[in-house]
Amino acid sequence: MSALIITVVLGIVVLYLGFLNKKAILSPVAVAGLLVVLWFTSGEWNSGAAYFHDMVVFDNFSVAFNISMIILTILIFLFGMDYYRTMEFHVSEHYALMIFALTGAFLMTSFSNFIMLFLGIEILSIPLYILAGGKKYSYRSNEASFKYFMLGSFATTIFLFGIALIYGTTASFYLPEIEQYVAGCNGELHPMLMIGLLFVLIGVAFKIAAAPFHFWSPDVYEGAPTLVTVFMSTVAKTAGIAAFYRLLGMGLLPLPVPLERALWVMTGLTLLVGNMGALRQTSFKRLLAYSSIAHSGFIMLAMLSQHDNSASTLLYYTFVYSLAVIPVFIIFILVKRASNGLEQLSAFNGLFREKPWIAAAFVILMASLAGIPPTSGFLAKFQVFVLSIGQGYLFISLFAIVMAIVGVYYYFMVIREAYTESEFAKPIVLNQLNAALILICTLGVLILGIFYRAIII
Amino acid sequence: MNEITSAIQIIPLEHYILLSIIMFSIGVLGVLFRRNTIVILMCIELMFNSVNLLLTAFAAYHSDLTGQVFVFFIMIVAAAEVAVGLSILVMMKRNVDSVDINQLNRLKW
Repeated sequence: MSALIITVVLGIVVLYLGFLNKKAILSPVAVAGLLVVLWFTSGEWNSGAAYFHDMVVFDNFSVAFNISMIILTILIFLFGMDYYRTMEFHVSEHYALMIFALTGAFLMTSFSNFIMLFLGIEILSIPLYILAGGKKYSYRSNEASFKYFMLGSFATTIFLFGIALIYGTTASFYLPEIEQYVAGCNGELHPMLMIGLLFVLIGVAFKIAAAPFHFWSPDVYEGAPTLVTVFMSTVAKTAGIAAFYRLLGMGLLPLPVPLERALWVMTGLTLLVGNMGALRQTSFKRLLAYSSIAHSGFIMLAMLSQHDNSASTLLYYTFVYSLAVIPVFIIFILVKRASNGLEQLSAFNGLFREKPWIAAAFVILMASLAGIPPTSGFLAKFQVFVLSIGQGYLFISLFAIVMAIVGVYYYFMVIREAYTESEFAKPIVLNQLNAALILICTLGVLILGIFYRAIII
Repeated sequence: MNEITSAIQIIPLEHYILLSIIMFSIGVLGVLFRRNTIVILMCIELMFNSVNLLLTAFAAYHSDLTGQVFVFFIMIVAAAEVAVGLSILVMMKRNVDSVDINQLNRLKW
């Protein structure tokens, strides 16, 4: 609770620092505030505290996800110190909006009532609509922002309609009561309830960009400012996944058969669309958007196979994925600056010649995204497959393994570009903070992969 | 309160459900087929309001206040969302001098 309040106050403080023209201390203040939030959040471990008439419950699941999201936000803000250094416009709003979005993400991981889930999704999304349009005079940024806004609110209304139908049958928004109602039905669910549950799942699936509700994601990732893209593909995604899992785990276990089928089809489609779509991309941000869709597919596979280990697998997968994505985007920004704003894959040309260490880190990070041992990305995928095969989802697991192999191709396509000679000289400027961030994240990816038993169990 | 509830209950529940489904569908069709972005915003608003109507009717029939409280939350959030949406629209209008949805074609595939 205190973590929630401090986060909101921190956002307002950062806004006021903007009015006072204290641009240099924005990022340090935001990071320091987030460290305080981190301290308070970790204090809630094992407390299981419930607030607002049990509408929000900070159990260990939500505390673990919150801690991981705070760490990711701190890493993004440290990156922002360099990213926003050259920008002329008002930077404080960007930090403040990201902090407000983080508040919504906290609600999404800890809701136990549909009202809080709705508010969490909206508090996360509305700042993101604005952030996606952060470059006011760039037409692509406008377009990304408007597309995201329109499709996002469209999905929200479908989600709300689902909640209304569920409320109509169960007379409650409180998830444990809905669970009791569903359990009392003995598998014979009222059609209205079934449609309601399906609509709610569609609304949340939109947030994690699961096919066939993924169409916004490549456009928005490409058009939005890069730092916002990083925020969306790490923090917002983690929050969406936590909300999805919590919704399934609190309300609907075991899944009713039609819903399970729908989730099964969605998982398969997401894997297919994500990996096949990425094969033909030439723009790097777009490629990572499709890769992010593909990762959603693997994560949904873990959600489909409900088991006691599902939650820890999800946490591990999302954290490791985000930890690899942040430095990859930092490197992308560096090479983009060196090649006059080029966003194609060829922007990476000459990276090895210029900065061999960065190129080596880039290979490790891409290998982690592709799922190659000994990186943690491999272990995350391995755990997902262990779960899903153990629960008897053999066919879709095999399909996912094939898709993971397809994925290796496009990740290595980018690595090949990084080791190709550039046609013109590219002085890549790297400051110490960014170098440290890349180093920390790469080491994190390796250490979490090698010593994962010591950390997880 | 009780008078309003009983007044709502004069009409059978099915009529409310049908009405909001029709309103919702009109909104969906508007979003899908209209080309003017302002009309699309209005259609999204219509969808929000059909949900509000449904929730109110259900709340009256269940004699449960939480549904009506939720309607307030939805109204506030919808207002915030439309404020953001309109400002994005203004930004777009300044850059390309048009509010036609077909202008949004720079990002594809």
